Amino acid sequence: MFLQALLDQTGAVNFSLGNLIMIIIGIIMIYLAISKHYEPLLLIGIGFSCIVANVPGPPDVPGGPAISALLYAVKDGGLFHYAYMGVEKLIIPPLIFLGVGAMTNFGPMIANPKLVILGAGAHLGIFVALILAKLMGFTLSEAGAIGLIGGADGPMAIFVAVKLAPHLLGPISVAAYSYMALMPMIQPPVMKLLTTKAERQISMAESRKVTKLEKIAFPIVIAIIVNLFFPPVAPLITMLMLGNLLKEVGVTDRLSKTAAGGLMNVIIIILTVAIGSTMAADKFLTVQTLEIVVLGLIAFLFGTGSGVVTAKIMNLFLKTKINPLIGSAGIASVPIAARVAHIVAYKENPKNLLIYHAMGPNLAGVFGTAISGGILLALLGVS
Amino acid sequence: MTAIVPDTLQGALIVSVIDFFLSFLIISGIGVVLSMFPLLNRVALLFKATAAGAQGGKHAAHDPSAPVAANNPPDEIAAIAAAVFAVMDGAPHRIINIQPSSSRSSWVAEGRIAQHGSHTTR
Repeated sequence: MFLQALLDQTGAVNFSLGNLIMIIIGIIMIYLAISKHYEPLLLIGIGFSCIVANVPGPPDVPGGPAISALLYAVKDGGLFHYAYMGVEKLIIPPLIFLGVGAMTNFGPMIANPKLVILGAGAHLGIFVALILAKLMGFTLSEAGAIGLIGGADGPMAIFVAVKLAPHLLGPISVAAYSYMALMPMIQPPVMKLLTTKAERQISMAESRKVTKLEKIAFPIVIAIIVNLFFPPVAPLITMLMLGNLLKEVGVTDRLSKTAAGGLMNVIIIILTVAIGSTMAADKFLTVQTLEIVVLGLIAFLFGTGSGVVTAKIMNLFLKTKINPLIGSAGIASVPIAARVAHIVAYKENPKNLLIYHAMGPNLAGVFGTAISGGILLALLGVS
Repeated sequence: MTAIVPDTLQGALIVSVIDFFLSFLIISGIGVVLSMFPLLNRVALLFKATAAGAQGGKHAAHDPSAPVAANNPPDEIAAIAAAVFAVMDGAPHRIINIQPSSSRSSWVAEGRIAQHGSHTTR
């Protein structure tokens, strides 16, 4: 009797098979981060929070469902509550973009403007997933939010999900960040399937040197264009460009180092905990979540493929051929996708260093996702 | 704002087609803007050249008795001009004046600078 009462105070009696599955998923994430180095900055936090969110505590109310200590904290205020609010209230995504901007050299994109078209070409996956989601019974707004997982841009996926389908924020952000971390596994088979060995071995000439003046002008020009034509996504791109301007002007080192260093690290910790805490089995292991996860994967596969195909189409018209592998980097997910393109090409030919060339479409992919998201929000009547 | 497209499969297709092609169009526009960025460098060089010219004009006004070619052998002028061109990396420039160094100990000073510089903490 006493022992039973003691057990009821713990979460042990509420442990379910779903919790076990989710804990295993969390452990796999941590394993991939440590042993395979798949985006450890993201996967360690998400994986750990996923594990903790699936260790049930005592019922919230007598006789009610079990709730983990982490989710209890999310529900009832405190750090985790505000961490999640930071995502839900769209404070964290612009701050992430500020840090990304402060870390990013847009030189490769400025140096080779023709490659920016790959930033649009690699986004077919968004629309394939959108149409499939609609076919599966989601509303058009939900389908749009799900489709944007294919933009492979976590902050943008969160931003659009909050505006179009806030109730799907959890599974969408988990799918977006998980697939971004797993890109080294997802992309290479598609890239190899759509290219010949000779195409994968194409070497690209060194790009022109970009001056400091161009790098300073870039964030200002882009911020004006985006604020003028895409107000729905302007907060994100504006912060991206501010971060980049802080980096490039050369007189605000303290600010750019903070944005790219300490601030970014704090935001990553908060973001990963907030995302991982949404992965409780009872909410995550649903048919709808599984559908979203599958659609996200389809979006990534089609995005990668369409980027490669766009590069191959460009090659039909270009005198100097480009390596079609860099097309896959147009999916965004900076710099993971560029790194994947570089590694696949490097394995074919160790003298072929594609990273700089792949960064061009990769960075353009960020704008491609923002543009797609902006148009989507406008067409669906969301300001 | 209200939705422009209906919440149907047809609406999804319309949204997808419009969004995909508009994205292509707009990102191509950004590409066009970026392709014009090298013009910025030319404009900057033009500004620099104009500023240097104005400064040169001032120097000439201040010291009309010190033209480049006065009292300097042509082969020395050619060598100095070539060296300056190499240092300026082809950027527009103008040599205002060439004259012997007034400092008698310039070689000594150079040596000291090199010696002290070699001990600079890096």
